[in-house]
Amino acid sequence: MESGMIISNVGLVGDYFKVTFYAPEICATARPGHFVHMKIARADDLILRRPFSICNISPSSGELEVIYKVVGAGTRVLSTLREGEVCDLLGPLGKPFGRPAPDEFPVAIAGGYGSAALYMLTREAKCGGAALLGARTREDILLADAYRTAGFEVAVATDDGSEGHMGLVTDLVDDVLLRHHDKKLRFYACGPTPMLMAVCRLMLDRGYPDAEVSLDHLMCCGVGACFACVVKIKADNPDGYYYARTCSEGPVFKVKDVYLEK
Amino acid sequence: MADLATDLGRIKLKNPVMTASGTFGYGAEYHKFYDIAELGAVVVKGIAPFPSHGNPTPRVAETACGMLNAIGLQGPGIDRFLHDEHYLPFLRTTGATVIVNIWGRTIGDYAEVARRLEADKEGIAALEINISCPNVKAGGIAFGTDKNLAAEVVSAVREATTLPLITKLSPNVSRIGEFAAAVEAAGSDMISLINTLTGMAIDIEKMRFKLANRTGGLSGPAVKPVAVRMVYEAAQAVKVPVIGMGGIATGADAVEFLLAGARAVAVGTATFGDPYAPLKVIRGINDYLDRHGIGAVSEIIGKVK
Ligand SMILES: Cc1cc2nc3c(=O)[nH]c(=O)nc-3n(C[C@H](O)[C@H](O)[C@H](O)COP(=O)(O)OP(=O)(O)OC[C@H]3O[C@@H](n4cnc5c(N)ncnc54)[C@H](O)[C@@H]3O)c2cc1C
Ligand SMILES: Cc1cc2nc3c(=O)[nH]c(=O)nc-3n(C[C@H](O)[C@H](O)[C@H](O)COP(=O)(O)O)c2cc1C
Ligand code: FES
Repeated sequence: MESGMIISNVGLVGDYFKVTFYAPEICATARPGHFVHMKIARADDLILRRPFSICNISPSSGELEVIYKVVGAGTRVLSTLREGEVCDLLGPLGKPFGRPAPDEFPVAIAGGYGSAALYMLTREAKCGGAALLGARTREDILLADAYRTAGFEVAVATDDGSEGHMGLVTDLVDDVLLRHHDKKLRFYACGPTPMLMAVCRLMLDRGYPDAEVSLDHLMCCGVGACFACVVKIKADNPDGYYYARTCSEGPVFKVKDVYLEK
Repeated sequence: MADLATDLGRIKLKNPVMTASGTFGYGAEYHKFYDIAELGAVVVKGIAPFPSHGNPTPRVAETACGMLNAIGLQGPGIDRFLHDEHYLPFLRTTGATVIVNIWGRTIGDYAEVARRLEADKEGIAALEINISCPNVKAGGIAFGTDKNLAAEVVSAVREATTLPLITKLSPNVSRIGEFAAAVEAAGSDMISLINTLTGMAIDIEKMRFKLANRTGGLSGPAVKPVAVRMVYEAAQAVKVPVIGMGGIATGADAVEFLLAGARAVAVGTATFGDPYAPLKVIRGINDYLDRHGIGAVSEIIGKVK
């Protein structure tokens, strides 16, 4: 547990904000896929913490960035916090993404804030990678330039066609498979649950059962104690699944392990 | 430093602060933060004779100063609890005072899980019987809302084990004192309350229930006044020690329960917001006693005027 002092908290695009904390202890061990469980300052009547993926860290300066969308009471208060205010942070929590091997070409498939959750992969990729970013409309596309600066090629899909491909982000996968058929591809995904279920099916179909998805769910304790945050994971029992805790056994799971509803 | 030692009849605690079942996992989750042996007792999540999936999701919803949960008693079952290194074998290594919360779908289930724990009781200080679960043989009505059934469960467990028994009462009844007296008469060595209050929340934009289970149990600061009242009534109705819980987040909250007649307290939902909450409650009780020049926590039990 660390007191994260806010260094800056600024609006990005649309309802998205970026908050930067001074949190050197968490930065020291954070990896892509990890999250922090945040007690939002001043939101005293909200008894629960809020989980947010770690978007970027600077271990040397102790700075930790989170990109968040204002969707409800907690994120609304968060967006009003100023430099110098302190949010208590638990983290880094969860099981992170597998590290891409030096000869692997990471492909990040992102929907919404998933783009932030996957961004840290650019730090671990040795020879570039690709980011497939999906959003409702062009204003909601996050971090496209940052991915490019980090040496990733970027392809975009929007629901309304205002930028890139008009349609689903999963539609962009086959093009990557074609263009990079000579490389050892490794897939990572984060975004809304329906998108991730589509990613699971697609990855299994295209022969990538070890692709990883970060399955986010409503959380309570964040440390594996309450069983609020569960998702169905395949198991060797008559039902074929068990409820795994996304906070402690995940949020990252391999697509071959995710139990897909018929 | 006041004397925080707490006498619950057949068990003695180093301080009066326990964890509430279902909010502290099986101890290991919070042992990463601090030494859980510092707590008065660790009450683990409910154990049944069988493993169980629990309810569909979403299982929780935050509400004004509280939360609803319908976890549905997901758990590993008694076999894994006794033998898997994450559960009882781990707890034994910590030196913590361990209380095992038990549940079942039939009276036979309760007796069976108690028998299994009796046979492997090293490191177990007491059992806490959760009677707030649906009785499958009676159309899903909770054991804890029928006085006779509640007493039957306690008698069956009493026959299955010599371990000290705590019966955890459901607050979803109109006369709590009668339930307290009924389980005392059936052989319960202690009483704990309150379990969660049945509630419901609706997402008006989506026009849907917030919980997949539709109803859930309300906990957190919102329930505290109800809990204090019920603890007071239960303590008036029985001679056995009462353990109070419901919305405790600070030492001051805990002192309210102690003054109302609880000999010990449990911290639940507050731990989700702050993993250190149970330790802070211990410190807060001590500070209160020091501030009032009271030497021992036992001196304030039931002293409300
Ligand atoms: C592992 C993980 C990583 C996340 N990373 C990010 C991120 O990097 N950026 C970002 O913008 N959002 C992220 N989210 C979603 C974020 O936690 C929610 O948007 C946030 O909790 C909403 O809080 P609120 O009080 O504004 O909303 P409310 O709707 O008022 O919140 C009520 C309750 O629902 C929960 N909740 C609401 N929406 C979600 C959701 N989508 N997922 C989980 N819980 C939710 C809240 O935590 C709270 O307990 C992540 C979620 C998880 C589980
Ligand atoms: C997520 C959650 C899970 C719970 N699981 C159990 C359980 O398995 N068995 C039980 O007897 N009580 C369970 N409870 C009830 C608590 O132990 C406690 O009685 C209640 O929450 C009131 O205390 P609080 O307001 O401090 O949380 C649970 C409560 C919550 C919030
Ligand atoms: S949030 Fe409590 S177990 Fe995951």
